[in-house]
Amino acid sequence: MSLVKDATVLAEEVNVVRPVAQKRRGRRDNLAGYLFMSPWLAGFLLLTAGPMIASLYYAFTDYNLFAAPKWIGFDNFTAMFDDPRWQKSVQVTLKYVVIGTPLKLLLALGVALLLNQSRRGQGLYRAAFYAPSLIGASVSVGFVWRALFSDNAVVDKGLGSLGLNLGGWIGDPDMILYSLVALTVWQFGAPMVIFLAGLKQVPRELYEAAAVDGAGPLRRFWNITLPMISPVLFFNVLLESIHSFQIFGSAYVVSNTFCGPADATLVYTCYLYQKGFQQSQMGFASAMAWMLLLAVALVTVVLFWSQKKWVHYEEDVK
Amino acid sequence: MLKVAGASVAALGLTAAGCGGDGGSGDAGNADGPATLRFAWWGGEPRAVKIKKAIALFEKKNPKIKIKPEFTDYQAFWEKFQTQASGGNPPDVFLNSVAFLAKYDKRGVLLDLKSQVDAGNLSLKNFRGGVETAGQVSGGKQVAVPVGANTMSLVIDKKAWDKAGVEPKFGWTWDEYFTSLQTIQDKLKIAGDTGYAGVMYLYDLYLRQNGKAFFKDGKLGFAQDDLTQWWSDYYKRVKSGIVADPKKIEQVKPKSGLSAGLAGAEFTWDNFSVRYEGEGDSDYALAPIPTTDGKDTGQYLGSLMLSISTKCEAQAQAAKFIDFMVHDPEVGKVMGYDMGVLATDDQFEAYKPGAETDKAVAEANKGIAAYESDVEKAGVLGKITPHPSGADVVEAAFLRIAGDVANAKQKVPAAVKQFFSEAEAAFQA
Repeated sequence: MSLVKDATVLAEEVNVVRPVAQKRRGRRDNLAGYLFMSPWLAGFLLLTAGPMIASLYYAFTDYNLFAAPKWIGFDNFTAMFDDPRWQKSVQVTLKYVVIGTPLKLLLALGVALLLNQSRRGQGLYRAAFYAPSLIGASVSVGFVWRALFSDNAVVDKGLGSLGLNLGGWIGDPDMILYSLVALTVWQFGAPMVIFLAGLKQVPRELYEAAAVDGAGPLRRFWNITLPMISPVLFFNVLLESIHSFQIFGSAYVVSNTFCGPADATLVYTCYLYQKGFQQSQMGFASAMAWMLLLAVALVTVVLFWSQKKWVHYEEDVK
Repeated sequence: MLKVAGASVAALGLTAAGCGGDGGSGDAGNADGPATLRFAWWGGEPRAVKIKKAIALFEKKNPKIKIKPEFTDYQAFWEKFQTQASGGNPPDVFLNSVAFLAKYDKRGVLLDLKSQVDAGNLSLKNFRGGVETAGQVSGGKQVAVPVGANTMSLVIDKKAWDKAGVEPKFGWTWDEYFTSLQTIQDKLKIAGDTGYAGVMYLYDLYLRQNGKAFFKDGKLGFAQDDLTQWWSDYYKRVKSGIVADPKKIEQVKPKSGLSAGLAGAEFTWDNFSVRYEGEGDSDYALAPIPTTDGKDTGQYLGSLMLSISTKCEAQAQAAKFIDFMVHDPEVGKVMGYDMGVLATDDQFEAYKPGAETDKAVAEANKGIAAYESDVEKAGVLGKITPHPSGADVVEAAFLRIAGDVANAKQKVPAAVKQFFSEAEAAFQA
């Protein structure tokens, strides 16, 4: 009896003790977690959150970095819309996003479809196509691009041999933006890898069943592949659009730090940089930064809203 | 957004480092006391090599004072400087130019050097042609000391001009200049000029020839009509081909259109002419500035200067260092005309151009010396008009908008209007 009782008591004790111990251990685990995270947290608070709050304040001030910021309400935001160069920067950026992003995704999807077929040396091909994305953001690539797209350089001569005499793109205000588009399209590796992962998830039975029913390759792509990878497509569209809005490095380097000629590559962040660091209008620059954040948020919301119409998740299929 | 955010924190971080290097170890009163000074300048590798040699000379003679060098290219220099200065951590001693004096004086960054001159740590004597006044801002405050003096010039591709059978001469007019360009284009099938209308300092000379100036009383010293004329003529000349296609000039950067063989002439500061010999494979020579009346070129001595920041704790040592950099004959021999023709008599006489091991550089320096003495002899040198705060931004806008005009991206009246409104904003910032 007593043994049984002891066992019960013990069990009860264990039951009582376990949650406390668990809690304690949990707390210890959490503490360790936070400790390991602390370098990142400190970095986030000091280098991201703090400055973001500061820049939100500056957005409503006239601030030249030296004199104390002067509160001017929404003046920076209204001045923005009256500024022809700001308007130009919005146009240039939209043009870049609208042309560059779809082209990049199309190429990424196309190559992912090719690489999805089993073939000899597949790993090598995947690595080769992904490589440009790894070095993509570097300044040196910007210089290489300048060299490629100048007068009498590779691109000019190549197009010339096809009878297209466009001249160098770098000095031409009508063409230079397309060299930046070409640069981003060339770096299609990251979305390609994501597409590839999505394609691997499509069940083979679907294709087999469709083939039995007599569906050709195009039909299978349209009715099976696209709907099945639509969540991945959505993810890529979202990520690449946001990314494109923030273009800076390539525009700055390819156009020789002036974002020209004739403001042809005056992308939004480039103008923001000029306002803040060359013209000492940090308040205006901060306001521009927040405007960009709002614009990107708006695009994101619209994309999320639109996904109901074209993105199919598995629960919908059921 | 991240850019802006990052910078403000960077500025905060830098404040902690303080001025004067190792804990601001300046012994402010004593010019021989121990100190560590940060010295920043802009320019390429050749200048850095020379300046480092000069620093070594100084440290040898003043073993208690250490100089920590910092350098980048021109544009990056001023972007970095602005961030450092606003964060309370500007370099102790730095290279400066007339376009930035008023701006940073207004922001309280530049030390008035008068106290150091009075204390005997820095001499303002023996400067050539009164060029020391270029370092003054309104009210006679001396906020910078010239280290070299230079004047605008026309650099020509000598072989091309000889081939075309044209020759520049003192007192020639703008009409004669443009006729020469036409001859070059007709005979050699290259443009005459690389593109002159966006060079603020050249337009300043043209305005001065006509009794005006680019800057006057802290504002623009000319009317919209003046600029409309200047840019309209320019556009016609680009269209006709006597001025080079801006698309071609853009693509050879950082090389100049002149050394790339795209045109026969280019307006620039005379001390910049050293670059052409190294870049191109023709012979280059300095030619006189065209005039309106056959006499007055509107020229003056511009200058690179050295300043001390108000945050510097070892002011006496910093003043002593500047004094050494502008007066010491040995430094003059080391630097040559890298930052302009040496500003003080002590250095000007110590350095004999032409002795350099690099033949092209030697020739170029000889050319600069001859050109400057010709200009001086001609008695055309006037005084520079002080540049207002915001002059740097105005200069950049002038160059950019002239490019819009040349590229036919803006009609001249609209371009002029835009320039005036941007200048207005720059003066207020």
